[in-house]
Amino acid sequence: MEEKDLKSMIESILMEMVGNKSEEATESVLTEPAQTNRPTEPEVVEDSGECLDDITEVDLRKLLLVPDPEDREGYLKMKEKTPARLGVWRAGPRYKTFTSLRFRADHAAAQDAVFSYVSEDFVKEMNLVAVETMCRDKDEYITRPDLGRQFSSDTIEYMKKHTTNKAKVQIMVGDGLSSAAIEANLRDIVPAIAQGLKMYGIEVGNILFVKHCRVPSMDMVGEATEADVVCLLVGERPGLVTAESMSAYIAYKPTVGMPEARRTVISNIHSGGTPAVEAGAHIAELIKTMIDRKASGIDLKL
Amino acid sequence: MNEELLSVGIDMGTSTTQLVLSKLHIQNMASSFSVPRLVITDKEVVYRSDICFTPVLEDNRIDVGEIQTFVQEQYRKAGIRKEEIQTGAVIITGETARKDNANEVLLSLSGFAGDFVVATAGPDLESIIAAKGAGAHTYSKEHSTSIVNIDIGGGTSNLALFSSGELLDTGCLDIGGRLIRVDQVTREITYIAPKIKQLIARRDIPLTLGQKVTPTDLEPILQEMVALLEESVGLRPPGDFYDIIVTNKGLKLDRAIPCISFSGGVADYIYQDSVDDVFQFGDIGILLGRAIASSSMTQLMTVATAVETIRATVVGAGSHTTEISGSTITYTEKSFPIKNIPILKLSMADESGSAEVLASAISDKLNWFKLNNDLQKVAIALEGKKNPSFQEVQKYANGLHKGMAELLEKEYPLIVIVRHDMAKVLGQTLYARLDYKKDVVCIDSVHVDNGDYIDIGKPIAGGKVLPVVIKTLVFN
Repeated sequence: MEEKDLKSMIESILMEMVGNKSEEATESVLTEPAQTNRPTEPEVVEDSGECLDDITEVDLRKLLLVPDPEDREGYLKMKEKTPARLGVWRAGPRYKTFTSLRFRADHAAAQDAVFSYVSEDFVKEMNLVAVETMCRDKDEYITRPDLGRQFSSDTIEYMKKHTTNKAKVQIMVGDGLSSAAIEANLRDIVPAIAQGLKMYGIEVGNILFVKHCRVPSMDMVGEATEADVVCLLVGERPGLVTAESMSAYIAYKPTVGMPEARRTVISNIHSGGTPAVEAGAHIAELIKTMIDRKASGIDLKL
Repeated sequence: MNEELLSVGIDMGTSTTQLVLSKLHIQNMASSFSVPRLVITDKEVVYRSDICFTPVLEDNRIDVGEIQTFVQEQYRKAGIRKEEIQTGAVIITGETARKDNANEVLLSLSGFAGDFVVATAGPDLESIIAAKGAGAHTYSKEHSTSIVNIDIGGGTSNLALFSSGELLDTGCLDIGGRLIRVDQVTREITYIAPKIKQLIARRDIPLTLGQKVTPTDLEPILQEMVALLEESVGLRPPGDFYDIIVTNKGLKLDRAIPCISFSGGVADYIYQDSVDDVFQFGDIGILLGRAIASSSMTQLMTVATAVETIRATVVGAGSHTTEISGSTITYTEKSFPIKNIPILKLSMADESGSAEVLASAISDKLNWFKLNNDLQKVAIALEGKKNPSFQEVQKYANGLHKGMAELLEKEYPLIVIVRHDMAKVLGQTLYARLDYKKDVVCIDSVHVDNGDYIDIGKPIAGGKVLPVVIKTLVFN
């Protein structure tokens, strides 16, 4: 499906969901900023400094919309333990405006994370060796998982040229399903892994960046670089809780077509889950254990 | 994965000494797809010793030889060897903590009882341990309420206030069952504790040493003692004697407390009453229990049944003192256990500044830990950050490295305790700063404060976590 079609479909669904009233509201919201941009009205150009609050800044776990709860403290205690949207109350049979808007904002962030790219400046700043899989664009990436795990022979040659052959470890980064996760966590996790590995006398060479990356692409990287361990840091499929969650898939001498059970994964690396720096320190130790025991996944008894 | 730790608790109280053995079950609660998270999932008492009178020598010193024999005897009865004990605590409580050789006995006994059996003392800790042993913290959590537990022993009443499983406050009063002793046969008063004597004088109650008494004669003084306990939990405004009867401090009482539980030897006679001879123990314990049972404490407050009464403190020492560190930590040190390390907890102001601010705060405050100009081993504790950047971790490491220079000169290991989940990366960073030449122990997810001590045991669960005991060592 074309991106445009998808967009218009979602729009029409949302229209139906919120009804005609907010259709008018949306229109007026849409037209107003357009007016403010007109240079013919100088009084609006003056910035009053006012702006709408960012509703995604609100900590949902601390927000209880039930107007008169029997046990507020108990309710909030329950909410502390789950990111689920409990106690959102209602307006008639529907969500309250805040709940509805927040849901759409979180959903939009999740979609953006999937459909946006890791910026080239960021790849440069992090000193990554950029390559891409056989996918030509995001649509192909979403619809053809098989292409997201393959590289052209030219790319493989390029990869070989820019990495150390038979290194102890080859680290790679993939956009996966969340580019936002990569930009949010990489700056902290990479130096933490490198520092941890240095403690064991293991050097981190050049790090690859793979655009349109599916997890099994690490198997081809493993075969190309002949590294002992390949560690892939990849953006997780975003949800409504966070769009910035990253996973590390780590395997000892991965090969194309190997069973999935040979991968070890550390998931939930984000500001509300395992902190990136702490995950990096843990991953470094894990890589060392894999090198020592020559195993990963379920073969590696921890 | 499921691992068990065998833990011993020993309580040397004013009147009795006891021992329990507990099993602590440890499990990894995280899914296989995330970093490990090991927690203590269950605690069960597997052996309860006999209760013996705390042996005191003629010169009013504790008879350590006798206690060691008692411990050996109990280990034999339980069918275990000392080497099997993996953790535990000895607590010295009440008046026994005030004996001349209390410190020495405590330290020698903790070593005698097991390799990682730690020494603990102090009225606040005593209150907390007793309340946990009585199950007050679990009750407050399960019922989502506040509860005060009063552990009434021979010499003191220890109060601990919990709200939804969290400790709020502790207090201690010099009220106990053996503060007036009555000869079982002649019914003559054989002893009155100094503060009680003072109370008797102030209230003009006709009671003197050597006097023959009936329960009715003792009623007025028992009512005074009950009134003081009512004051201590906020049922009455504090009277003129309240400040005198308080051992070190009372509860703050800035909010009403809905529930109460009782532990200690006296508690048995609050929860039930079925004795023929009220002086069968040669003291006023049973009468005090009865007086409390018919007081406003049981009428105006919801009384929760304690899971342990006379054994609350010892069960608390055996089952509730050992914690485990966070599961992503760094240690390069190999010589565990590390025992009795005082804590230096930094303030938020120390932490929020630059690495230099942190460093100078540490080196300044290390002076508090100098004994005759000789620096002791110290563990540095900080809050840390919830989701720190790598730069912030470097800042912490630089500050700690510089600030702890004096400890490094002494060849002491660097022991760092951080509250937020960042110990593994912080420890690795520190270790890198030290050129991988000095030892580092960096753990997280443990709450500590100034005045606390920490003991760290041998790694468990395949080396992932360290058992720790946070405690106080206060002898009155």
